[in-house]
Amino acid sequence: MHLGFSLTPFGHHPSAWREGGTPEKLGFDALLSQVEQAEEAGFDFVLLADRLGQRPTDDLSPVATPFEPTTLVAALATRARRIGFLAAAATAQHEPYNLARRFASLDQISRGRTGWVALPTAGDPGRDAEYLGLVRALWDSWEDDAFIYDKAAGRFFEPGKMRVLGHKGEHFAVRGPLNVNRSPQGRPVVAQFLNGEARVLAAHHAELILLQEATPENANEAADDFAHLLEANGRRREDVRILANVVPVIGESSEAAQAASHALRFSEADRAMQPLSAARLVGTPVEIADALAQWLGAGQVDGFTILPPTVAIGNLFFSDVVPELRRRGLIETKSGFTLRDRLGLSRPFYPAAELERVS
Amino acid sequence: MSHDRQMKLGAFLMAGGHHIAAWRHPDAYASAGVDIDHFIALAQIAEKGKFDMLFVEDAAAIRERNPEMASQAARSTGFEPLSLLAALAVNTSHIGLVATASTSYNEPYGLARTFASLDQLSGGRAGWNLVTSASELEAENFASSGLRPHSERYERADEFADAALALWDAVDDGAYLLQDAGSFADRTKLHPVHRHGKHFAVDGVLEGQCSVQRRPIMVQAGASDVGKELAARTADVVFAASQTLGEAQAYYADLKSRLAKYGRQPDDIKIMPGISPIVGATEAEAKAKYRALQELIPDAVGVALLASYLSIQDLSAYPLDGPLPDMPQTNLIQSRQQLIIDLGKREKLSIRELARHFAGARGHWQVAGTPEQIADAMEERFTEGAADGFNVMAPLFPSGLEDFVTHVVPELRRRGLFREDYEGRTLRQNLGLSAPLHKKAG
Repeated sequence: MHLGFSLTPFGHHPSAWREGGTPEKLGFDALLSQVEQAEEAGFDFVLLADRLGQRPTDDLSPVATPFEPTTLVAALATRARRIGFLAAAATAQHEPYNLARRFASLDQISRGRTGWVALPTAGDPGRDAEYLGLVRALWDSWEDDAFIYDKAAGRFFEPGKMRVLGHKGEHFAVRGPLNVNRSPQGRPVVAQFLNGEARVLAAHHAELILLQEATPENANEAADDFAHLLEANGRRREDVRILANVVPVIGESSEAAQAASHALRFSEADRAMQPLSAARLVGTPVEIADALAQWLGAGQVDGFTILPPTVAIGNLFFSDVVPELRRRGLIETKSGFTLRDRLGLSRPFYPAAELERVS
Repeated sequence: MSHDRQMKLGAFLMAGGHHIAAWRHPDAYASAGVDIDHFIALAQIAEKGKFDMLFVEDAAAIRERNPEMASQAARSTGFEPLSLLAALAVNTSHIGLVATASTSYNEPYGLARTFASLDQLSGGRAGWNLVTSASELEAENFASSGLRPHSERYERADEFADAALALWDAVDDGAYLLQDAGSFADRTKLHPVHRHGKHFAVDGVLEGQCSVQRRPIMVQAGASDVGKELAARTADVVFAASQTLGEAQAYYADLKSRLAKYGRQPDDIKIMPGISPIVGATEAEAKAKYRALQELIPDAVGVALLASYLSIQDLSAYPLDGPLPDMPQTNLIQSRQQLIIDLGKREKLSIRELARHFAGARGHWQVAGTPEQIADAMEERFTEGAADGFNVMAPLFPSGLEDFVTHVVPELRRRGLFREDYEGRTLRQNLGLSAPLHKKAG
């Protein structure tokens, strides 16, 4: 199964900071330590959800990461060198050239371990469709073998392998090319949360789908629907990974887990503060591993993004649930270095190469 | 001999080196531009030399329109500066991190947020080199029909800088997670910004705690009149390109004289001209190193670069061995254009000679010599009212920076001109700048 880890300083429960929350926990070293544990446990990626693009107007939320996500990914990627990174960024908040460039740069810094969680602009699907197509085209500005570094001939790159877009659309005009080399994994992975009008956009562009349904049944249903939508849009199911958000509440006994879950109830105010939603699984490490295994076998879901309600429960997931999953053969040792490799997504061909292949 | 006043040093990073043909040098690591470990190594060399800061320039576009020309140089692609410096921040401990970013192709909330994040990641070592972006190739990546006139770019930059400063001032120290606090945030320490100006509407606070250095250091390189005014009002550090001592002194005196009307002291701004040092054990060895690099410049690349600095499309219609043609002033980078024209006239240089001269250090001051000679040249400008420090542009990386750290830095120390160790942990402390007065944002 594929596993992601959603990173917050204290956990996803809005009151998690009350247990041992200190200003140090808001710092880089404390976040790095969580990432290192996720890496060691064999997770495929860390998710930085960034309040789903909502700007803080009054103060920092205790469930938000106190860094701008792309800069945090750049920093983490040099210190944790195996795990992948997904950072959310809203199409309403960035010029397409700047966004394509930042993620291309992250993908060079991480050597191909970066993905973009595209947060669409409400009520503007036409703009988003153009935006995502444009970002992808910018990422294809250079062929894989464009840079030849021929010192003797004084030729740094092959001019014929640079693509000037000259894009002039309804919403954007961008000349290109991008001033970053093509990604070590071809292109950064594009991820999307699946909701409302963004489903069609996701069916065209997303390679990783993050489900926010409150129960496994709802998540399976959403995954089924999306699989059909994919096919209707001419894409193959194997070109997309579908992961469900999960909040695990872990206890030594079923009763202890139920008690912990009771204590971690969400009030309405809590829900408003928490940008992500998820299915809650409550039980012992064995029960949680059983529930995940059963869910994985029951439908279209390829894995899970874990949203620990507290850092302590996150640690229990690493120390007690992950070994159970391994025992069941559900966490394979991944070969390859890129996020695509880890997710089993194929490397996209450069468009020109793809034309050759088809003809 | 000891001085109270000491030089500030920046290490201006650039892939394989500042020399336009550096990548062709036998020692050059040609794919350095996209190797993060190369940049981490450079940052650590500069930090070992106790440099004040690393500096990265920027353009949100490739730099040469003609693909044939572009393909002969190493400047078309590389890391985006803020992500690069974020990566370097967590692999260094004392050195400052200054990234260039444009006020024309960003908006204040997002950019202020990103610099605040870099500042948090580095423990108070971030700086923003504010540019207004003059190149047409950049404008064409941002849907603009054409470049805004020089003065309107600066009007937007003025409002942008004020908005960023207000956002950085909006969170007081200790706003989150005070001991025994019943709530996560102490609202008395948060001052959400509400600014609705001609170019931007900015509302809210930035996430994260107050910067250890209060706010990132403001850097500029404005050399036009309106650029110098913005620098005098807002900058902590100013980069400059001056060829001669006289030019550098005139610039220095002019900029410092503009500070008083903003209630600032001359020492509140550090003026750091660029220097491209080529270090040799003997003068002859240094000159030979320089020649070896110069000979690697293809004429076409040098002339194209010269044309771009002059903001004209093409120089190829003019004889390579003849003088520069007369040309009109543009609304682009007027100051650098004048500097090139002046040098051509003063030294009676042909287009080819000017091209090679400028291609080398891209218009900055070049000194090839022994460590003593380079220290002499720097000391003269430092003590004769032309510089508070220097932005060091090594022609070749890593060897050019290693040479400087191993041979020139100890010579500067012997003369009492440069620090033995860092004075503090933040860039503001090491630059010897006082904390800005806290203004309640509004």
